Amino acid sequence: MNSSTQIRMTAYASLLAALTAAGAYLSIPIGPVPIVLQNFFILLTGLLLGSRWGFASVAIYLLAGACGFPVFSGGTGGFGRIIGPTGGYLVGYLPAVYIIGAISEKTGQKAVFDVIAMCCGSIIVYVFGVAWLKVLTGMSWSNTLAVGMFPFIPGDALKIAAAVPIAKTLRPIMRKW
Amino acid sequence: MAELTPFSYRPGVSVLHLQDVRFKLVFIVFISIASMKACFMSLSVLSFALFSAILIIHLPFKSILKELRYFFVFLIFVFAARALCTSGTPLIEFMGIDVTLQGMYDGTLVCWRMLLVVLVGLLFVSTTRSSETRAAIEWFLNPFPFIPGKRVATMMSLIVRFIPVIFKQAKETSDAQRARGVENRKNPVYRLMKLAVPLIRRTFESADKLAVAMEARCYSEKRINTKLYANRSDWIALFLVLCLCVLLSVIDMFECLY
Repeated sequence: MNSSTQIRMTAYASLLAALTAAGAYLSIPIGPVPIVLQNFFILLTGLLLGSRWGFASVAIYLLAGACGFPVFSGGTGGFGRIIGPTGGYLVGYLPAVYIIGAISEKTGQKAVFDVIAMCCGSIIVYVFGVAWLKVLTGMSWSNTLAVGMFPFIPGDALKIAAAVPIAKTLRPIMRKW
Repeated sequence: MAELTPFSYRPGVSVLHLQDVRFKLVFIVFISIASMKACFMSLSVLSFALFSAILIIHLPFKSILKELRYFFVFLIFVFAARALCTSGTPLIEFMGIDVTLQGMYDGTLVCWRMLLVVLVGLLFVSTTRSSETRAAIEWFLNPFPFIPGKRVATMMSLIVRFIPVIFKQAKETSDAQRARGVENRKNPVYRLMKLAVPLIRRTFESADKLAVAMEARCYSEKRINTKLYANRSDWIALFLVLCLCVLLSVIDMFECLY
């Protein structure tokens, strides 16, 4: 990889990390619960950047949050958030992005496999998030799932449905440069 | 919407401005850990300390309120959720919904803690140049062998640079969509696409320009760092912050006994 491509990928990875951070504030007001774009950008990071750079992008995002930059949802940052009750979801983003990127790279970026990749990614995020939430709050499994997973599934399905055409539109633009 | 982010450096010569950045980062970690389990008394002590810090660096309260106004809305939601969902002695009963005493207590504590952590972050970014932050992060990552410290630090400062750009672009895009009557479309996938595609395309264009500019200025990872100096006042400040954190945890221990 020559230095020019490397600088470009560095800028893109930072941009997607910044979009993830901004996604905590950006939402589309539809229905009673607005759709927050944070994990949508995580999905796109995996699809657009691939496994290695996607992983780097999310790692930088988490590190920036841990250092105290207010990049997590609700405008908070700090190490406390990563070990707090919702920290499992944040840590789960890392393997999720890697898997999404790896699957979509291996399968030649076909739409069907993109959907499968994103489903796997979302499941990984929930495994980490719900398990950590249960360990920390000591709720029963059914309660933890009802609080930490079921309410978000419709929104996630919607984001996955939207991410496929968006990735398809954006990939040629990225390749051109 | 760009003013929503509290990422802005205000030049000055106060004690906090002159502190070594590495120490300031350590302070943030200490204070956010100490405030995690804090109860009423220790939170008051911490608030007093932060309040005096704000006075020292002459941060106008009006601009703090303005920068945090969306955050306050969020806090109100958190408070309401806590007040309504915690079981305990009902304080007010209204249409079958109880507002409990324990809920109010819990909600106040949680909101207070979040507010303090955000204020600490605000104090940090308003007294620190981003180049200094980058140098400090590099310094902390030096001992780890497999992490390219320089690249990580560059990427972090790029994140801070991109966030206002993204907010500005998002506002422009959603205004443009609204002018074209996008609110009449109820399909959420359509709305998400029409917001995300222009937003990401345009911000990618600006990232691309930035990459070209970096290349044109011969950016490479072999470069000389910003020099960081620690002097006696930094160590004194570290000692004071440690004392504060110990004091906080001692107060918490006593308060939790009762």
